[in-house]
Amino acid sequence: MADAQKAIEQLLDDLAVKIMNVEPGDLSAIGELLEIFDSLLGHADMAEQPMMVSMVDALKKVFEGMIMGEYSDSQECFDGLINSITVLQEVERGDDANMGVFCEYLQATGYEIDPAVFGISSEPGSDAEVDTRFLADTEMLMAFIEESTEYLTAIEDSVLELESNPTDAETINSIFRSFHTIKGIAGCTDLDDIARLAHSTENLLDEVRNGRHAMDGEAIDVALAVGDRIGKMVAVVKNVFENGVSEYQKIEVDDLIERVNKVLAGDSGEAAGEDEVLGEPLSTSAEAESGSGQGESPAKLDLGQDGDIPDFLQDADLVAGFVSEAFEHLEAIEVNVLELEQAPDDVDIINNIFRPFHTVKGVSGFLNLTHINKLAHTTENLLDDVRNNKIAMNADIIDIVLGVGDFLRSMVQNISDMLEQGPEAYQFFDISDWVAKVVAVQSGQSLADVELPGKDAPGASDPVPAEKEEKTDSLPDAEQAPEPAKVAPTVAKPSAQVAKTPAPAPAATAPRKKSKIGASIKVDVEKLDGLVNAVGELVIMQAMVRQNPLVTSVSDPKLNKDFTQLSRITSELQKTAMSMRMVPIRQTFQKMTRLVRDLSKKSGKIVDLVMEGEETEIDRNMVDSIYDPLVHMMRNSVDHGVQVSEEREALGKPGKGTVKLAAYHKGGNIIIEIHDDGQGLNTAKIRSKAKERGLIAEGDHPSDHEVNNMIFLPGFSTADKITDVSGRGVGMDVVKKGVEKLRGKVELISTPGEGTQFLMRLPLTLAIIDGIIVRVGQERYIIPTTAIQESMRPRKEHYKTVQGQGETLMVRDSLIPVIRLYHVFDVEGGIEKITDGIVVVIENEGRQRALLVDELLGKQEVVIKSLGGYLKDINGVAGGTILSDGRVGLILDLAGLISASDDIGSPLVAGEHL
Amino acid sequence: MSDEATVEEEAGGGIKGLAGKYLTFALANEEYGISILKVREIIGLMEITAVPQTPDFVKGVINLRGRVIPVLELRTKFGMVAQEYNDRTCIIVVEVNGATSTIQVGMLVDSVSEVLNILEEELEESPSFGSTQMDTDCILGMGKVKGEVKILLDVNQVVGKGLLDQLAEM
Repeated sequence: MADAQKAIEQLLDDLAVKIMNVEPGDLSAIGELLEIFDSLLGHADMAEQPMMVSMVDALKKVFEGMIMGEYSDSQECFDGLINSITVLQEVERGDDANMGVFCEYLQATGYEIDPAVFGISSEPGSDAEVDTRFLADTEMLMAFIEESTEYLTAIEDSVLELESNPTDAETINSIFRSFHTIKGIAGCTDLDDIARLAHSTENLLDEVRNGRHAMDGEAIDVALAVGDRIGKMVAVVKNVFENGVSEYQKIEVDDLIERVNKVLAGDSGEAAGEDEVLGEPLSTSAEAESGSGQGESPAKLDLGQDGDIPDFLQDADLVAGFVSEAFEHLEAIEVNVLELEQAPDDVDIINNIFRPFHTVKGVSGFLNLTHINKLAHTTENLLDDVRNNKIAMNADIIDIVLGVGDFLRSMVQNISDMLEQGPEAYQFFDISDWVAKVVAVQSGQSLADVELPGKDAPGASDPVPAEKEEKTDSLPDAEQAPEPAKVAPTVAKPSAQVAKTPAPAPAATAPRKKSKIGASIKVDVEKLDGLVNAVGELVIMQAMVRQNPLVTSVSDPKLNKDFTQLSRITSELQKTAMSMRMVPIRQTFQKMTRLVRDLSKKSGKIVDLVMEGEETEIDRNMVDSIYDPLVHMMRNSVDHGVQVSEEREALGKPGKGTVKLAAYHKGGNIIIEIHDDGQGLNTAKIRSKAKERGLIAEGDHPSDHEVNNMIFLPGFSTADKITDVSGRGVGMDVVKKGVEKLRGKVELISTPGEGTQFLMRLPLTLAIIDGIIVRVGQERYIIPTTAIQESMRPRKEHYKTVQGQGETLMVRDSLIPVIRLYHVFDVEGGIEKITDGIVVVIENEGRQRALLVDELLGKQEVVIKSLGGYLKDINGVAGGTILSDGRVGLILDLAGLISASDDIGSPLVAGEHL
Repeated sequence: MSDEATVEEEAGGGIKGLAGKYLTFALANEEYGISILKVREIIGLMEITAVPQTPDFVKGVINLRGRVIPVLELRTKFGMVAQEYNDRTCIIVVEVNGATSTIQVGMLVDSVSEVLNILEEELEESPSFGSTQMDTDCILGMGKVKGEVKILLDVNQVVGKGLLDQLAEM
């Protein structure tokens, strides 16, 4: 212990001296300093001095930030660091008088300090005071923290901009919007103080943008102060979120609100209304938000009522943001509704559905998308009733929420179309049906009674709001008295929720121990592709330099070591770059939940979908392409595989069928497995069907496995009747084609009576292909390895011609047509005598061919490149790649090659043998 | 850059709008010019990978610092006799407007001459050759500089439309 103490002292002295002398560019000195920091940390930890640990850790982070150039004013920052180390030394000696300086410095550097650790927070506040309702919903909270930080930065930038150009309406608007959003999300997250503060500032800005108040120095100061204060509060929230309730620290806002109001009152005579704002801040803010939704607020009404023709397109950026968000939200809704179906009483899930609706409502209202807003709002009301146990959850509600989700999706899709194609793409969506349905279900009618609702409604908008207004007014009253939730059922509800229902309570009292908020940024896909390309080039270039004869002739251990290091770095870089294009397969899987639900409903079967490995990552370009094959396989499993309950029970299986959907990585591939516990394939039936269709030659006896895999052939179906779902023999063909297009393979394993298993093997990425390089004359081509079955030097006795022209090769008892690559591609100098060359047997869409090439050069993973603009659709060429010598090699497209060869024909003249 | 480029493209009949800087190069005994704004870079001859099933004048593709770009042989394109490559042969990489983005294409020429500033008064409409086989679509006009004639080419036409048409015919 004492030793550790001594060591710390020593290290601190060391640090203080070294840091005085370090030069900004001196890497080795900086490295040394970092080492000292590290060993300090170690010793402090050993000496069980948590305060020292956190202080040193904080300083180290700041120092690292400094090295990375994160601070603009590095000199000041550096001086601060030196001072802080002095403080550290003092603290070590037991004098923490200057702790404040230390914390101030950390704050100034933007490091989120944890005041409790440094012992400066007066008191964490007694339990009664801790208002931690906001912890009820961690996901929402995370989003809030991330977003608000973004908005705060934006606010600060804009406010500073205003200082030089105080009348710029656009800037004022953008600040206004940012505050408005912060207010909105803070309200939703039950961070009342933040919402109040943001709201009052919003009021001020509203005056400013309406020209009733000048954006003078005082106003700017206040706006900045508010931004800072909110920033602090968000930091506290984040801290609480990460480290537990004990970190809670009350930050007063009333003084600032007062200041804002003073500024506001200063020269506008409208301060009268402000008291109200102070007194009942949340309700007002909520009113502004939900009011916009219902068209109550006159200002919004003007803009909103004629929302038919999209004036919202003015703010294309905002709308585009809304569209992408809305899609995400709608997807989340669907996933959660399906979960809810399994557990209708789970309040958390209902909340998870409620929130996206609420967000969609809020943002659409803000953007004057009145119809979307109205529909989302109505549904939200319904869900609100459900979660307050006013009406029971039932199948009708689930159906209707799913339906609304789908409808909203098409509406959002239309907006997205409009963004791309202009207002002509506008399509009218009549929401009145849905609104009526929702309202009917809410009032307790069953869906069947209202299947064809209020067609008599003259317009889409008229009758509904009236009804709704009544509802929103009456609903919350019964629910709560003290909370300021008069007109704000949606915003204030989460609090009531937490207070009343026991279920989510654990979340509130025991927040996640160390859930880190993963910071993420959105990057343009094109930029990402550019990076991946450049990195690919780097790898090739490095290999080329390394293989340069001049370099290889040098035998310098240092050079070799450096090269090894370089290649390690480049391959690391490549891996990282590649991984950036990867996304978890979760989203695709979740879509299957809905599919299985609909399918099983339709076929009257009870099917449970079990998912595994949703976090397995896959190239984002592949996500869309695997969807179709998956759908068909799922259909096959549910429709053909799993039997109806009675049949299952008769066989001694559980009445509920299970379909397992799993994904995992294996040997550089991603494998997607679909496994049902149904009846398995009827091999005998397939065999007889195949014989009928001449797919099995007379006297041939393929194994069961081979027979089973015949279902992948186009048009093959054993179904006696064609159902709504499947039976046309198209599905499995789609699967195979789709998977082959992705250069993957699909296989089927069936165990009679126990179930069927599909195995889909896909490459991890579309950007890289595993290929065999072959030489023909002076040209080199790459054949995708997945298509290659074998290669050999053909023997004369295996080579047969038909009518002197059609060339075939006997390979393992089957006759395979020969393609002379030099002939199809018109290459000079290729080997013509077939027994001198090599044939590569390839398979494509069930067709086998033997490609005649001169030589196999090796196997290599190559990065696929398009041949650039105009040379896209060449028969037989899938693309190019850059080979290790820097030249371009062409990647063969086998389907195209086969058809090109069919067109061109054989070079042989009848009777002539080569 | 785009400003001037548009002027050139939109000039159409107005030959005077074509004044500006041109990179001139030789093909056989003729001198051609392309707007300097279209030129991306000039590189020496490098190994070209032939691409099957393309028109004669598409010599193949090259690796331009990691990008694969097609290379056209202008002699073949204009129906002139091909010539052995020598150390003056080079590839002018031009940028043309594709369907969605700009596309880089290499043009094989005998040799690059110079960058010329062609003035309005030196410009002239391209002469008519009657109904011969000649493809004059890609000629913007003629420049007469110091007694020599430069044939000014519309790069978009040379590589763009022409290539697409011929590919479609294949």
